[in-house]
Amino acid sequence: MMHQGHSKSQFVAVASIAAELSAVMNVAKDISLAAANAKAIAFRAGEKAKGFQPITDFINELAKDTIQLVVIINQKALQLYQLTIREHRLAEACEQFENAVALCDAATYADSLTQSLVLVRQRRSECQRQFPHLVAELLALLSDVMHPARAARVIAANSRIEASQAGEYMQSLQAVAESVDNAAQIIHDKVQQCRSALSQIHTDAYFPSTKTFS
Amino acid sequence: MKMHKIYQGGHEWIMFGRDLHKPEKIVDTNQYLVRSADRCLLIDPGGIELFAPMLAAVLHHAPVHEITDLFASHQDPDIISSLGLWDQALPHAKLHAAGLWEGFLRHFGCETIEYVSIPDNGGVISLGSVELQIIPAHYLHASANFNLYDPEAKILFSGDIGAALETPNTPIFVDNFAAHVEKMRYFHQRWMPSNQAKRAWIERVRCLDINILAPQHGRMFKGDDVKRFLDWFEALQVGIAV
Ligand SMILES: [Fe+2]
Ligand SMILES: [Fe+2]
Repeated sequence: MMHQGHSKSQFVAVASIAAELSAVMNVAKDISLAAANAKAIAFRAGEKAKGFQPITDFINELAKDTIQLVVIINQKALQLYQLTIREHRLAEACEQFENAVALCDAATYADSLTQSLVLVRQRRSECQRQFPHLVAELLALLSDVMHPARAARVIAANSRIEASQAGEYMQSLQAVAESVDNAAQIIHDKVQQCRSALSQIHTDAYFPSTKTFS
Repeated sequence: MKMHKIYQGGHEWIMFGRDLHKPEKIVDTNQYLVRSADRCLLIDPGGIELFAPMLAAVLHHAPVHEITDLFASHQDPDIISSLGLWDQALPHAKLHAAGLWEGFLRHFGCETIEYVSIPDNGGVISLGSVELQIIPAHYLHASANFNLYDPEAKILFSGDIGAALETPNTPIFVDNFAAHVEKMRYFHQRWMPSNQAKRAWIERVRCLDINILAPQHGRMFKGDDVKRFLDWFEALQVGIAV
């Protein structure tokens, strides 16, 4: 018994954000591993990969930053999900109270429901007021998480150059550069998907529900 | 939603059920309201689909702020999946339900309503001048399960015990016990898991003076049919699926 069509798409949108975020988390962990791996190779390569060593630390830092940001974003996304559930329950309550009033056909105590109905409407508009703020916060955090991903791509390009001077280690270091580049690309895409899912909630999914208050 | 006053004394009992508008694939349930001077108890308030018709029906008898207490005999959705909506409708109410089920029942939504945990050995629900006894009926069928007994009205609300699944237009009282048995047999054999639990419950309930045995589905039992039911249930083998 969905009270309005938008709720479903809103739940799906919030859930898909959570899914994208957990993918971002996994990829960031992969980068961390790649960095550790590259560090080991660079250590063995010694002089030949001297330029590569500081790069591996950079990569590791970027992975850490990404993971930290994703943890915060996850918390916000969870808040958004809880707010969505709350709004959904309140919307359902509004609708059911209105149904009861229609059904009770001038019952002796029909008016006693008014106070609860007013309260539920207030709580619901409070949710609706909070909603765009939370979405905006999330969007800002998501654009923050793009920065390490972009930086990682630049570093990957540098790594390729350094790798080409590493003699017999060239191939394995190039593979590291390649995987960092791929991972950064994936993070970039996933975050982009989160942002578009989120803007969708913000624009066309959420506001129709305010029609009961007009 | 049909309404029947089944007791009128210092307080009243109203039975709600036989809802003609209920969605087809949902079981028909009986809800009960105990109304004292200024407080009401709603017994097994029902499924979420039933909330609006149930609330509408209740508004004929009491204002929402006088519904101060809810009771859930166990955790099934036909009993209490409407909780999240009552939670928004009732400004200051308590839910009396098994402590064992708290973590489960809260899934339905319970923010403003106060959850009053019933311990395994039962207790009382006081509505000011009226006091109802919470009678343990564990494993009949839920692992934590309670009945309610009103010593003044001599009514035992028995939850799923005594239930029969019938058509919406069925009368509210059993009028031919022998014929009614067939509507109950499979339900009790399949849903009730334990002969031991059944015997313990019968022993306990036989000590009560009961005029009406009121189940959550189907017809109520009155007068001699109460004893007939207890005898029949005593002889019945339950837990047949294993
Ligand atoms: Fe049940
Ligand atoms: Fe039931």
